[in-house]
Amino acid sequence: MSATAVTVPRREVLEKLTPVLTKRWLSPDAWRIDVYERLDGYAALRKALAAHPDALIQLIKDSGLRGRGGAGFPTGLKWGFIPQNDGKPHYLVVNADEGEPGTCKDLPLMMHDPHSLVEGVIIAAYAIRADRAYIYIRGEAVHAARRLRNAVKEAYAAGYLGRNILGSGFDLDLVVHSGAGAYICGEETALLDSLEGFRGQPRLRPPFPATHGLYASPTVVNNVGTISSVPYIVLGGAAWWKTMGTEKSSGPMIYSLSGRIANPGQYECSLGITLRELIELAGGMQPGHSLRFWTPGGSSTPLLTAEHLDVPLDFEGVAAAGSILGTTATQIFSDQDCPVYATYRWLEFYYHESCGKCTPCREGNYWMVRVYRRILSGQGTYEDLDTLLDTCDNILGRAFCGLGDGATSPVTSSLKYFKQDYLDYIEGRTAPKLSDKALVGAH
Amino acid sequence: MADVVKAGSNGVETVTLTIDGVEVTAPKGALLIRVAEQLGIEIPRFCDHPLLAPAGACRQCLVEVEGQRKPVASCTQTVADGMVVKTQLTSPVAKKAQAGIMELLLINHPLDCPMCDKGGECPLQNQAMSTGRTDTRFHDHKREYPKPVAISTQVLLDRERCVLCQRCTRFSDEIAGDRFIDLMDRSAAEQIGVYRDDAFSGDHPRSAIDEPGYEQETAEPGDEPFNSYFSGNTVQICPVGALTGTQYRFRARPFDLVSSPSVCEHCSAGCAQRTDHRRGKVMRRLAGDDPAVNEEWNCDKGRWGFRYATASDRITNPMVRREDGELHEASWSEALEMAAEGLRNARDGAYGVGVLTGGRLTVEDAYAYAKFARVALRTNDIDFRARPLSNEEADFLGSTVVGGTDVTYADVDAASAAVVVGLEPEEECPILFLRLRKAYRKGGFAVTAVAPFLSRGFTKLDAALVEAVPGGEADLLRDDPRVAETLRAPGALLIVGERLATVPGGLSAAAELAARTGAKLAWVPRRAGDRGAVDAGCLPNLLPGGRPVIEATARAELAGIWDLEAGIIPSRPGRSTDQMVADAAVGRLGALVVAGVDPADLADPRLAEQALDNVGFLVSLEVRRSAVSRRADVVFPVAPVVEKAGSFVDWEGRLRTFDRVLTTTAMTDARVLDAIAAQLGVALGTGDVNAVRRELGGLPATRADRIEPPRVSGIGAARPGDGEAVLATWHHLIDLSRLLEGDEYLAGTARVPVVRLGKVLAERLGVAEGDPVTVGTERGALTLPAAITELPDGVVWVPTNSPGATVRRTLGVTAGAVVKVSAGAPAGPILASGGSR
Amino acid sequence: MGAVTDSVKGFGVTFSHLFRKVVTTDYPFEQPKTAPRYHGRHILNRHPDGLEKCIGCELCAWACPADAIYVQGGDNTDEQRFSPGERYASVYQINYARCIFCGLCIEACPTRSLTMSNEYELARDNRRDLIFTKEQLLAPLLPGMEHPPHPMRLGDSEKDYYVGALTNPGTSAGAERAPWSQQHTADGSGSAGELS
Repeated sequence: MSATAVTVPRREVLEKLTPVLTKRWLSPDAWRIDVYERLDGYAALRKALAAHPDALIQLIKDSGLRGRGGAGFPTGLKWGFIPQNDGKPHYLVVNADEGEPGTCKDLPLMMHDPHSLVEGVIIAAYAIRADRAYIYIRGEAVHAARRLRNAVKEAYAAGYLGRNILGSGFDLDLVVHSGAGAYICGEETALLDSLEGFRGQPRLRPPFPATHGLYASPTVVNNVGTISSVPYIVLGGAAWWKTMGTEKSSGPMIYSLSGRIANPGQYECSLGITLRELIELAGGMQPGHSLRFWTPGGSSTPLLTAEHLDVPLDFEGVAAAGSILGTTATQIFSDQDCPVYATYRWLEFYYHESCGKCTPCREGNYWMVRVYRRILSGQGTYEDLDTLLDTCDNILGRAFCGLGDGATSPVTSSLKYFKQDYLDYIEGRTAPKLSDKALVGAH
Repeated sequence: MADVVKAGSNGVETVTLTIDGVEVTAPKGALLIRVAEQLGIEIPRFCDHPLLAPAGACRQCLVEVEGQRKPVASCTQTVADGMVVKTQLTSPVAKKAQAGIMELLLINHPLDCPMCDKGGECPLQNQAMSTGRTDTRFHDHKREYPKPVAISTQVLLDRERCVLCQRCTRFSDEIAGDRFIDLMDRSAAEQIGVYRDDAFSGDHPRSAIDEPGYEQETAEPGDEPFNSYFSGNTVQICPVGALTGTQYRFRARPFDLVSSPSVCEHCSAGCAQRTDHRRGKVMRRLAGDDPAVNEEWNCDKGRWGFRYATASDRITNPMVRREDGELHEASWSEALEMAAEGLRNARDGAYGVGVLTGGRLTVEDAYAYAKFARVALRTNDIDFRARPLSNEEADFLGSTVVGGTDVTYADVDAASAAVVVGLEPEEECPILFLRLRKAYRKGGFAVTAVAPFLSRGFTKLDAALVEAVPGGEADLLRDDPRVAETLRAPGALLIVGERLATVPGGLSAAAELAARTGAKLAWVPRRAGDRGAVDAGCLPNLLPGGRPVIEATARAELAGIWDLEAGIIPSRPGRSTDQMVADAAVGRLGALVVAGVDPADLADPRLAEQALDNVGFLVSLEVRRSAVSRRADVVFPVAPVVEKAGSFVDWEGRLRTFDRVLTTTAMTDARVLDAIAAQLGVALGTGDVNAVRRELGGLPATRADRIEPPRVSGIGAARPGDGEAVLATWHHLIDLSRLLEGDEYLAGTARVPVVRLGKVLAERLGVAEGDPVTVGTERGALTLPAAITELPDGVVWVPTNSPGATVRRTLGVTAGAVVKVSAGAPAGPILASGGSR
Repeated sequence: MGAVTDSVKGFGVTFSHLFRKVVTTDYPFEQPKTAPRYHGRHILNRHPDGLEKCIGCELCAWACPADAIYVQGGDNTDEQRFSPGERYASVYQINYARCIFCGLCIEACPTRSLTMSNEYELARDNRRDLIFTKEQLLAPLLPGMEHPPHPMRLGDSEKDYYVGALTNPGTSAGAERAPWSQQHTADGSGSAGELS
């Protein structure tokens, strides 16, 4: 990518945009129920309530919808795990605790189109026979929580929630619950603990939430993007949904572009688009910048470089390139950004957000941050690089949950692609970015 | 092929797997780490504990399982058929993973092993040697915390040493049910802490997560301290030196200690213990591992209450009262001679000799007293009950309790329901409480408490309450359909405490109810020696081995064994403690032999002291100077439990035998009695503990009929008038007990004495929570802060023997009595409030 | 003949010794000088401010093959501080009836509190006196030292005492040769650097 002025995307690239979940975002006041209803709102719900819940689960299975929260687990399969006729209450929990650095797809959705989420919740709850659903929203997202609560209130008033919804005999209560500001609560079992009023720490699995989730009852935990996709699939059908994306990664996906590009923002395209096309959609790189490295799906996914511009951004394509699709939050860094410093900042985040339950994540991240500080203040050693890699090896796959694993991604990938940048700090070619006050003490 | 269980044996489903190339069959659902352990493969671990639910927090026990992408925590992984496991012994991946975790754990651990109480017996130290690196790769500042923080008066927390395995918090939550400690903060600043008053108010300087030397919290007044009765167990299971006991702090190093197995002498739970001593002095006590009894736990009283034996008022030489009326140290021969003379005179006199043995004796010593009374003193006036009692109780013990081993801890585990009467398990038999809680947590077990209110212990058992006004329990047991219905369930238990003896008809109704419903009946006394004393015959109506005094067959059996002429053992039941006290007080008892009895424990301490003053001749066998020894004519020093061998019989009827821990010259009660008897011309044969054991073991089962169960009908609860209430009372676990004197750290965690009263009564009196309330009788009054509790109207509760609440001494009454209740402190001078010894 | 020659021979042996070097010493009037690393009686060293280096860890007692050392730990408080840090030795005894002067205790000491002097005059006329107490073993107060208990003068935490201790020569300088061997002060300062 060359460093040129803002460009206008070519027509064939523009056609790659597939606004489905984002289609109402530019409509004024689409967050209000009357506007939403005018724009096909709650049509899917009526259709869904006429169907058998099992048919809905089959529909979602047929559509190939995969979880939008990062792991990409097939949604229909997850719903199918819920034991039926077990005499226990079932719960649907929507994970709106969007906190991954660089990820910003759920908040605008809840701001601009909260009713699509509410509608998705009602359909999903109907499918899994839950009469109570929770939306666990990130504590800091006060604005989105407010809008969502308003939407829920409107839905209650309109009879879409509460007793005997639209005369179908189906009851559902929906609660919007604000978290208390912990990244770990985006992990589904920690989220459930937090929702139950406990300290947010991941639970031991098995048993899995599908059988022992919220209040030890069968529970489905889905991402906002996943649930919001449901009404469209119900309306459009599985076949239509599969016209978008690739064979194994069907449907559209909201790509959150940020960093050194001309027009950062959300671009909803079919799964499988490349970064080259996305950057073109976003008007190219910022003037004077050329692409150096980027994350395909938030900071927990290993970095990619300019070599990977043509990697198809779907679950399989990104995996083949040695990274993870994650939340499709592409943070784009240029030649003027330092990969060492960027990694340090990410690591600071992970160390700060580690819940502290398991040793590798709690200690490993804390001490890796110390090593980075030393390197960035010009006091690193060659051994430090081996120590970092080895510590990552001691965290990856050893931690209790995915948080620790994710934290190692930027470290290992930046050391893989940009070792010279590290050496430049150690050997004094790059000026220290941090002061060296009180870094070295006794042990 | 190694079999951890025999395949298919007793219906356990098994799976077969391979660990380090060894094929092994293990029960389905077993944890990998445990199965490996049984093969002799030791996987390092911190958070794992066999009696706690798996956590998987420390990640130290990672192993490689074929087909799994990541190393697996063996403490959370259950075994499966065909699983192929490689531990650190055969897998480089597992070895590397464990070494990596160990390195991370050690980076921040301070190098203060030389002064740490855990140093030398520390799992972290040991596993760092086996699994850790020799040097560190991280040279930056460690996270520092002020050390140590006293989270209670007896437990100290050193957060720098903590590896956050959560064993302590899990124990407190799962086993004890006392969530006083929990994880605070997160990430690298995560720490164990007690709850703080202002935890959520925000103006407290919270720990900055980031920089070294950051502001840290210390315990402050107003914090909720770790006042659990079981807090000592967290010290014992802490795999590092993060939690240490104040009492043992810096007292010794493990490698310098001699460890002796022992049995706790405090309550009737019968806990196995380990007593660690050095140069003839006990340094600490730990819970012993006995799965059938206390599992691996004990209570803080058992762990930390042992300094009484080394108190400065310990009696080391015999003492006799000379012509000047004072006690003087004397030679053994002089004292023995004098005791024998006094006892002979009294025995041959009009009123005879009585023996009060108390509930602290080993079964060997109790037997010696029982035999001494019958053979040397020719009396049945012997009673171990140093507490409010009834004749109904003696019949109950003789008919239903003696010799029985019907109910065990295992029965509690397997029970479907339990009705608890006259007993507050957490306060009066803490290990039984833990078992009840274990059964409750397992599910399918319901506790019904027949009590005036749901105490904290009952709340932790989620017990259903059958509300009883003290004195009314007998009626409830007889008539209440809920109680009977509960007990009809198969495997139901009726657990009665010794306090039911104070309810007329209570024990009769309990025995009758158990017979009617088929429930198993357990009698749980409060002291370690009580049950053994029943079996050994320290009762006016019972001879050793459960032989009724009134049965000629029984007397003849004993006469044969003891080689006595017929007629030496009196055929009439003797006097009970209360009768002896009453008779002695008016000079109708020739002499008294008193073992470890505190007159303050008796139903009427004032009368008891009068009795001791007025009795013709008083022989005291005591460890320490006491209210009895002060009044005695002859005092013999005897060995405390730690200095003698013996056995207790726990509430189950299980014999808990222990050897001498410290070798001293102190003699057992049995040996002293043997010497006195010799002076009386009787060969008692109890001079050697093994001889006593042989004799006890050789007692054949009696062919005599058992005593008939008592059939006393209840009289119902008293009806208080205006300004009155019925008194409910029981002991706090940690109170003014003689055996807790000198343990000031332990005393700091005692529950605060309060007057509990119901909302209605509180409103009538116009008192709010915490306001002073006075409970009084003709004799005296005590004033304590009010605690408004769900109590039946017209009932007040006070602890029996806590600071400021010495019920028997101050009020001269016990549970079921009517007392006066008023708001505020009494107008006149407070009479004997607080009491004294 | 034998008798005469034998007596001359015997005298010859005696006579020849008149010209050899004398092996007896004029002890105790003249005390022999030991090798610098001679294992003599122990010293419990002090920090430069007078606080005790001993932390009462009992590792010396553990290491001792003769069971000659008895230590009882104690808890420092802010009011009563004997050593930096939490722990100090409230009782410290070495029984010289048992000590074999092997020096394993010195190697075990984590704070270099325990070292050995060159003093060898340890004979006593009863067993009791052979048990040396902490007061006897503690190094004397050098100028600038203050008798404990007293607060930490060298910093806010024990770290200030230990970090850099290897380059801090003052900690127990001269202790081997000081008080009992004032008579050797001629060269007493020579080997002080062995410690620290």
